[in-house]
Amino acid sequence: MFVEIAPPTLAEAAAATAAEATATRRRSVRGISRLLGRGVVPYLYLAPALGLLVVWIYRPLVETAQYSFYSWNLSPTTPAIPVGWHNFHRVFTLPEVGDSVLRTVLMIGLLLPFTIVIPIVVGLLSREVRGRARTVYQALIFAPFLVAPVASAAVWEWILTPGSGVLNRATGLKINWLHERVPALLSITGIVGWQMLGFAVLVVAAGLASINGDYAEAASVDGASRWQATRWLTLPLLSPTLVFLLLTTVLLAGTWTFPLIDTLTQGGPVSATTNIYYLLWNYGFKSFDAGLAAAAGVVFFAAFTGVAMVLVWLSDRLAFHDN
Amino acid sequence: MALAIESPLTDDRPAPGTAGPAAVAKDGDEVPGGRSRVMTVVGHLTLALLGVACIFPIYWMYATSLRRPDDVYNTSVLPWPLSVKSYSTALDQLDLARLLLNTTWVALLTAIGQLLTSVLAAYAFAVWNFRGKKLLYLAFVGTWLVPFQVTMLPNYVLLHNLGLLNSLSGVIVPNLVSALGVLMLRQHFDSFPKELLEAARMDGRSSWSTLWTVVVPNLRAPLAALTILLFVNAWNEYFWPAMVLQRGNLVLQLGINSFINSVETEEWGPLTAAAGLATLPIFALYLALQRHVINGFVRSGLR
Repeated sequence: MFVEIAPPTLAEAAAATAAEATATRRRSVRGISRLLGRGVVPYLYLAPALGLLVVWIYRPLVETAQYSFYSWNLSPTTPAIPVGWHNFHRVFTLPEVGDSVLRTVLMIGLLLPFTIVIPIVVGLLSREVRGRARTVYQALIFAPFLVAPVASAAVWEWILTPGSGVLNRATGLKINWLHERVPALLSITGIVGWQMLGFAVLVVAAGLASINGDYAEAASVDGASRWQATRWLTLPLLSPTLVFLLLTTVLLAGTWTFPLIDTLTQGGPVSATTNIYYLLWNYGFKSFDAGLAAAAGVVFFAAFTGVAMVLVWLSDRLAFHDN
Repeated sequence: MALAIESPLTDDRPAPGTAGPAAVAKDGDEVPGGRSRVMTVVGHLTLALLGVACIFPIYWMYATSLRRPDDVYNTSVLPWPLSVKSYSTALDQLDLARLLLNTTWVALLTAIGQLLTSVLAAYAFAVWNFRGKKLLYLAFVGTWLVPFQVTMLPNYVLLHNLGLLNSLSGVIVPNLVSALGVLMLRQHFDSFPKELLEAARMDGRSSWSTLWTVVVPNLRAPLAALTILLFVNAWNEYFWPAMVLQRGNLVLQLGINSFINSVETEEWGPLTAAAGLATLPIFALYLALQRHVINGFVRSGLR
């Protein structure tokens, strides 16, 4: 390993042999420490990230699971009273929980066109367009992703203002977008969709770029029409990307919508935009019902784990793999 | 593209021998069934319309902010005559220099910290086989299953006990690991040519020096893309800073938000000016580095 080719003089050859001997000894010592170390090394590289995960994600998760068996109002001076499964019982019987779950599902469903359908169309059409124009389109569609939620809330509030906002004035509609039940839900998902579209388009572009061009060539040689090739070749090869987008939409819809709900509608009107994440926030920091918030959090965590496992299982079964 | 020419390794395709550079560049660009003029026109039209629709709210934000206070309700597409009155009103009430400095500092440290922990973890996953690898990888993926609202309260209590509430470190420390970073980098590290790692080992390089002298320099493009993504995320973060920094609005998003809440709701000029100012640095960064972001992403072959 460290032995260089020795020049052919005797003295140097002898020195080289000696050096080699020490090197061998050193190597064997190194070998032992490497054997000992080999098992440890990957864990050392993982340690910083894992340590942080444990402290800031999984420790709090466990603590939340503990809170869920207590009744506590978050105040350091009042003791937490153990209540057994009572909080879980409330989670499953309170009608507002069921309503918020339905609304969450609805929001996810309304987001899917933005995170899957339009990105596929954009991705396929982008291949028909070349050069600078394509870069410009991509940049325009990606730009909203860069706008901070606080800023986009301000802009959209202005655009959606009933009397003077540009949307109603341009279209002649008279809708109070943020203060009527159905329009408010549509507005929130529309704004989030507008922000996330750029991200999804980029992911689809990445998926399309990773499809081997040989397939397309083979299809052309076989005389496949454009539509046939897209339907039977491109889309199946893209399916892992689409499952990834479905999974991110389902899991992260709550995180994406939360800041906009909080700044624009505060869950209203009449809780028309209260999804499960906003409900958790309400329980914890508005009703100061830490036990109920924790129990709901644990239930939602379990439910999302289940959904994610089903999706991953489905993608393994259905995905049409390149290799 | 320029990066790919500089170093062929930034291209993730592991077997350059089997496909010439021309074939690599054409990958994914190849339209099955050939090109047609009709589809090209349809493509241009659809994408241009969508692009305009996407950019319009952002344009409208800057257009409104640049109108004279009397013209704010004007719906003419071009804001004319221009005026910076809204900006001066917003700046009178915002300590912009301090907010920018604090936010840059927070976003930079967060992004660098996340990048560092992600590089190390992704390297471990890509290079070694070890006991519990799958489970530990799942631990990273699993963070997406834990809603922020679940970890918020215990983390708040811990920060309180550490004495980090109302400090910028309190914003940074809990966010030093990014699951997205680990997942994205692992893809790149996995497809890194194994022969190069083997060659470095034969040279007697330790795994540590292999990482910094062989792997990282060859993956500059995706690392740059990820850094920008993490920086933007940290810059736009709102809720955690809002919880930690309850005394005083130390970062930009909080300052803007409290300004937005403090002005009369009908003062759209200063409001859009403040929102525009909060977004401007990110747009500048993006325009300067746009090629790297898109390329880094598209090449990542996220699957």
